[in-house]
Amino acid sequence: MTTRDYETLVVERRGPVGWLLFNRPRARNAMNLIMRSELAEAWIELDEDETVMVIVCSGAGETFSSGVDLADLADPERAEVFRGDIERPDAVSFTARNQGVRKPVIAAVNGLCVGGAFMWVVDADIAIAAADAQFIDPHTTIGQVVGRGTLGMVSDMPFEPTMRLALMGSHERLSAPRAYALGLVTQLVEPPERLHDEAQALGELIARNSPAALAATKRAMWRTLQMGLDDACRLASQDIESMWTHPDQTEGSMAFDTGREPKWRPLARRGAERVKRR
Amino acid sequence: MTYETLITERHGPVGWLVFNRPEAGNAMNATMFDELAQVWIEIDHDPAVRVIAVTGVGEYFNTGRDVEALAREPERLRILRGQMRAYDMHFTARHQQVAKPVVAAVNGICAGGGLQFVTDSDIALCSSNARFLDPHVSLGQTVEYSAFTLARTIPFGVAMRLALTGRHEHMSAARALEIGLVTEIVDPPEKLREAVQTAGELIARNSPAALVHSKRAMWRALQMGLDDACRAGSQDIAAMWDHPDQIEGPAALAEKREPKWQPPEAGER
Repeated sequence: MTTRDYETLVVERRGPVGWLLFNRPRARNAMNLIMRSELAEAWIELDEDETVMVIVCSGAGETFSSGVDLADLADPERAEVFRGDIERPDAVSFTARNQGVRKPVIAAVNGLCVGGAFMWVVDADIAIAAADAQFIDPHTTIGQVVGRGTLGMVSDMPFEPTMRLALMGSHERLSAPRAYALGLVTQLVEPPERLHDEAQALGELIARNSPAALAATKRAMWRTLQMGLDDACRLASQDIESMWTHPDQTEGSMAFDTGREPKWRPLARRGAERVKRR
Repeated sequence: MTYETLITERHGPVGWLVFNRPEAGNAMNATMFDELAQVWIEIDHDPAVRVIAVTGVGEYFNTGRDVEALAREPERLRILRGQMRAYDMHFTARHQQVAKPVVAAVNGICAGGGLQFVTDSDIALCSSNARFLDPHVSLGQTVEYSAFTLARTIPFGVAMRLALTGRHEHMSAARALEIGLVTEIVDPPEKLREAVQTAGELIARNSPAALVHSKRAMWRALQMGLDDACRAGSQDIAAMWDHPDQIEGPAALAEKREPKWQPPEAGER
């Protein structure tokens, strides 16, 4: 599959794993306007690629991401675009969840993850971190309100530590071991240099499961964060049922019985089963 | 103003509210309920206060309603029960819609209704000898609102265990840290207020208006689904756009000096 060239991202395939790397190391991988629009395309490119089963999102170099580029925010014209994202939250298109990505997404947090960059962590399905990674939310220290990433974190880990991160601003950091203890990330990688290897290994494990079952499961799981428990369970019954007549359900048990790897059907085309976010 | 059951103090930007009925485990009698309703508003309106800390005198943080004392005042008990039934209480920061950041300093045993001061604070620290328990079911009562809040703020199974074990099990400070009910344990316990004062002073260095809006958006995230909370939060984010603090913050950062923040507007409180 041909892939377009990106100026601010590295998009690659390694076996069944599609990689999306923020690639502005000199700007600590901050998201400028170019990255903002490239991300919208890259997520869809990887979601549509039939050879990709799982997507990993990480930062090239020493930083995961420092959030929205302050240089862009300082420029009135460019800042206007980011303001528009706040005014029209449903039109935002730079995370996997924004783009309705159906495949499992792993955030592999390397180094610093700052403020707006929390979005890529909370909008991933699974997050892992290098043991020396750090989370910091400087919004209130520069006279801004916390962003959507911090609000999303309320669903990802206990409330009180999240609030502390929000109110402390730049004056405190959340360490990777603490993020692991609190459940924000589910794996710590030591030494930190092994982060991408471990993310690849985790991606390959997940890729052994049924793509259709993973997509339906992901959809049902995220819905539990949108509503009360019983309502979420009622709606999830449709996701459960959607696999009953799917060939993967027969293939899965046959492969298990005979001790071989299952041959899964590829995921239906994007749009065929896509459920709008709202 | 002076209070019979509370002590108020101010140290720098931090306003302190101290439960002061040590002889009753800092349980709340009718006077304390009245005074709490007033004191939160008084401190929240004090322009010198940026952050509020809440703690107790003696070995207890707070142990909820003083059942014995209230039994002697049946009329007051009837009113309190009515408020409880209507979910219209007035004794915590959240009940009184305090806009400023609130830090709980749990200095010892925190039981039953006292848990509400932890759940309704923004941040909680505790001393190494603090313990948490919810004895309601051991006294033949249903758990109160703190338990329902905990069901949202910490892992569910942990909240349920606290609710169902009643007075027969205590949660240690170490476990409270582990599961994110508190974010810091202070040892030795005597250093608790010092640590909370330090945390309060750090928070006070951030923009008061941004803190108010951030706090509001974060609490709202517990009220609704994820996407709705983010949509609603975008209004809080937009609320700071033309605020002078949004210019002062990056300027101070660039000039490597402390920012000079605007006091929060009345409408932001």
